[in-house]
Amino acid sequence: MDITVVKRDGSREPYDANKINLAIERASAGLDDNITWVTQIASELGLTLFDGITTQQLDEAVIQVALQNVKDDPQFDTVAARLLLKTIYKRVLGDYESDAELARLHREHFAPNLRRGVEEGLLDDRLIQMFDLDRLASALEPSRDDLLKYIGVVTLNNRYGIKGRNGDSLEVPQFFWMRIAMGLSLNEENPTEHAIRFYEKMSKLEYLAAGSTLVNAGTSYPQLANCFVMEMQDDIEHIAKTVRDVMWLTKGTGGIGLSVTKLRAQGSPIRSNNTTSTGPIPFMHTIDSVLRAVSRGGKKFGALCFYMENWHLDFQEFIDLRQNSGDPYRRTRTANTAVWISDEFMKRVQNDEDWYLFDPLEVSDLNELYGKAFSERYAHYVAEAEAGRMHMFKKMTAREQFKSILISLSASSHPWLTWKDTINNRALNNNTGTIHLSNLCTEICLPQDEDNVSVCNLASINLSQHLVNGAMDFALIEESARIAVRQLDNLIDITKSSVSEADYSNQQNRAVGLGVMGFTDVVERLGFSYESEEAYELIDEIMEHVSFAAIDESAELAKERGAYPNFEGSGWSKGMVPLDSIERTEADRGVPIKVNRKSRLDWDSLRAKVKGGMRNATLMAIAPTASIGLVAGTTPGLDPQFTQIFSRSTSSGKFLEVNRNLVADLQRLGLWEKTRESILRSQGDVQIIDELPDELKQVYKTSFQLSPYAFLEVAARAQKWIDQAISRNMYLETRDIGEMMDIYYGAWERGVKTTYYLHMKPRHQAEQSTVKVNKAEDIIASASLEGANSVASETKSAPARRGFAGLGNKPSE
Amino acid sequence: MSGILGTGVQEGLLLKPVKYQWAMDLYDQAVANTWFPNEIQLDQDIADFKRMTDEERHAITFLMSYFNPNELLVNKALAFGVYPYINAAEAHLYLAKQMWEEANHCMSFEYVLETFPIDRKEAYSSHVEVPSMARKEEFQVKYIKRMTEETLDIATVEGKQDFVRNLVAYNIILEGIWFYSGFMVALSFRQRNLLRNFGSLMDWIIRDESLHLKFGINLILTVLEENPELQTPEFASEIKQMILDAVEMEEQYNEDLLPRGILGLNASYINQYVKYLADRRLEELGFDAEYKVTNPAKWMATANDTYELVNFFESTNTSYEANAKAVSSKKE
Repeated sequence: MDITVVKRDGSREPYDANKINLAIERASAGLDDNITWVTQIASELGLTLFDGITTQQLDEAVIQVALQNVKDDPQFDTVAARLLLKTIYKRVLGDYESDAELARLHREHFAPNLRRGVEEGLLDDRLIQMFDLDRLASALEPSRDDLLKYIGVVTLNNRYGIKGRNGDSLEVPQFFWMRIAMGLSLNEENPTEHAIRFYEKMSKLEYLAAGSTLVNAGTSYPQLANCFVMEMQDDIEHIAKTVRDVMWLTKGTGGIGLSVTKLRAQGSPIRSNNTTSTGPIPFMHTIDSVLRAVSRGGKKFGALCFYMENWHLDFQEFIDLRQNSGDPYRRTRTANTAVWISDEFMKRVQNDEDWYLFDPLEVSDLNELYGKAFSERYAHYVAEAEAGRMHMFKKMTAREQFKSILISLSASSHPWLTWKDTINNRALNNNTGTIHLSNLCTEICLPQDEDNVSVCNLASINLSQHLVNGAMDFALIEESARIAVRQLDNLIDITKSSVSEADYSNQQNRAVGLGVMGFTDVVERLGFSYESEEAYELIDEIMEHVSFAAIDESAELAKERGAYPNFEGSGWSKGMVPLDSIERTEADRGVPIKVNRKSRLDWDSLRAKVKGGMRNATLMAIAPTASIGLVAGTTPGLDPQFTQIFSRSTSSGKFLEVNRNLVADLQRLGLWEKTRESILRSQGDVQIIDELPDELKQVYKTSFQLSPYAFLEVAARAQKWIDQAISRNMYLETRDIGEMMDIYYGAWERGVKTTYYLHMKPRHQAEQSTVKVNKAEDIIASASLEGANSVASETKSAPARRGFAGLGNKPSE
Repeated sequence: MSGILGTGVQEGLLLKPVKYQWAMDLYDQAVANTWFPNEIQLDQDIADFKRMTDEERHAITFLMSYFNPNELLVNKALAFGVYPYINAAEAHLYLAKQMWEEANHCMSFEYVLETFPIDRKEAYSSHVEVPSMARKEEFQVKYIKRMTEETLDIATVEGKQDFVRNLVAYNIILEGIWFYSGFMVALSFRQRNLLRNFGSLMDWIIRDESLHLKFGINLILTVLEENPELQTPEFASEIKQMILDAVEMEEQYNEDLLPRGILGLNASYINQYVKYLADRRLEELGFDAEYKVTNPAKWMATANDTYELVNFFESTNTSYEANAKAVSSKKE
């Protein structure tokens, strides 16, 4: 078949294999084996061609073919990334021949594309008014695009890059970084200089601003804040207002935490019309629908997490919100759920005592209390209930409820477990009121009430870029932390939301959350196991430096720009730093918190300094970095390696991830080519490779093979230094509820404030397509294994014969 | 009679002692795999569907036109040709769950057909009106009719052979080759970031079908083991020929599925995949591979072969398992 290609203008030309080969060869330059790759990609491409393919489809097809080889060598990912970048360059800048020409096109197009963005009403006018655009253009470094992996280029391009009104892409990656940097320098006296400083950090992937900031900075709709945390009040006017606020915040791409604890229970009396309430569940379903109606920046659905305290009378139905069966009107398919747990409950679980559920209407002060004060008041209500003076209540054993929470967690990954007393007792910022919930990703700890929708602004340091010559560069980490804090503080004066209670709270508290990502990448490159004392010590030391520098920078900013309005009365104003609140929490809890208290830096002088004023109510939080981690090309947050080869499903598609550190180690030992198919067959488990040295087996365990207590210990050591919290993803192989109870009790014991999504190891996977499979052989193998273990069993674990083996191999006979 | 085959209504009324542990294990896993189509929201996919090319929309519609009635055809094969001739309670349990799954798959395709802007009248009539599709259906019906029009005497060699023929037709061929080739085509869209939620639905269906195939192959191997009189070269070559014929039928069907190409796929590409699958099934039955071709769809490693880490704000997590407590006691 003659294949012709349809060009953009509609004309046709014969398919030119040479042209394609040349493009692939260029994209493979500098990598090993590029010659064999060219032939491989070209011949696999040949299989998929058809007459009438468009040039655009052809470009995409070449990339897809390169990508499908990543399972055999991760360097194909580099080839795919380069091919994709080239199509983006061509679209945005036009054709080019050499790197020098590409750099020139970057400089030439920078200002005109910004102007077009402003003219089309997409970008903030100030971007072309306040800056020395020539200087910025000459600061652009297109070679930094090499740092991006394929998934990073895709994510930047699909999610963050600006497109013109007619759909034209206006940004190449370096334009994008510069635009973000400019959008966060608008309040600086010397904006050009600061934009270059921020650009340098972000374009080198040393730290990244969080999602909403990357979507909206520099645009004409600058909602740059990431997290919004609010309560729904027990009154219909406020419920309606909350629906409205959820719509606006979602439109601006923010993630939302929403507490429904205050809503009276189902069957609770309503005085105004002498009827009874339907309880919180139907309102949650309504908000769930809103999330799907308003998309975030036109790119993702809304995201929200409901919080409820587990003494609420309707709590059992709250747990069921994420069940996959049952009345769809009593389910939230899109919104997430989290439970807000007291010390009192954990102690009652430990002591196997009863647990009482109440109608908030009758215990209206309970949601405002925490720690000892909560326990005392709770005991009072329990006594009232037992004395028959409560209108409505339920009673069960605390263990029974804990189990049902964990059963739901293991089946539906919800509700997430968060501990209110650890959060409130360790807070330095709740001088203005109680913290009633955390946020969408369980890393934010800020107070809120009817007049305050709390807001947090995030960025994450990419630890992978701070591992220099085989060691962590702590000076560089501190530099990154300081610049990031300034950038975050700027954001607060630039961002706008359409919820006045949020803008107000943002100004009063100036809360920011600086986190880290890439921990596992660094641990592996240092040759540590995630579950080793070295790894625990490393995260402890890293977070101490991040914390110290961030706090110090905020104190410096207070000198330059003034303290945040709610500073008076805060823990900071009393000379406290996060480490100091552990003891206070322990005293209130009356049970020791199992984490070491070692420190390395001069905290005493910092204690003195923070007393003088802080620019920000909070400084640190470790976000999940599920999207920006992809842009940075590193492991997200503190997450372990899911498995050594797995697929990642995002709104930009499904991507194969092969652990490059492992591949490099196996290649060094000459084992990669021999073992890659078995590693794929085992879903990324290398413990099966006999030749692999034990040290490496320790380093490359899958998330399900690691002890779950390792996740807790890493979190506990980081939590020492962090004033807010950590999105601690959990991974479990066990489905034993007793073991799960111990693990989550262990989280509370270590002072971990929150846990996040739970990934359970699947027990069964679909039949694999690309590795050799023979179910009959597997059956026989398992049968002989069983046979060896059991003596003359009546049970046939599997049939023994191999079907038609040796009988009918020549059908024509 | 002590084998897995038998017709006594009053046999197989007690589960314990479990004789065929593999069937019990498959039942437990199948229960844990329970899911429902309305867990998936298709809003984004509708937008994708509207901007796909005519050829791409045709391919998806064609696939669903085929899958939808054939899920139910599998149920007929089970109801008339498998369930009545088995007397192990554990196998009955599994078959009951499988039949519910086929119904659930049918409802899933209905869910998609009713949600997407598709010409439903055409979609529902294709399995009769498109010759290459009708031919595949007739092939299956032939084996089921043997069971519906007269009762098998499962004690005879002829009866047992008919039992195995039906099993190979619906399980190895229909589910193990024809469906699997369709799965690859369906998932190919997700690799291009199209129809991601439909892809999640397919993930679940494939997870179920993998168990169906495991059950079918275990059953065939067991029947052959317990009935050595079936192990003749004549019968073996007849079974092998059935599979080779099925490949040829699928090639015609693929021409109608993709008369032109779409990005990343054309009919001969799918045909190569079909041959790759057929070789795998042949080897599982103890035959040598016939075609010895490579798998052209290497990207299935990403689409299907690995654990999936879901960015759960953006995509449905399909790897959960329901029924946290409901694992029946195994070794007591």
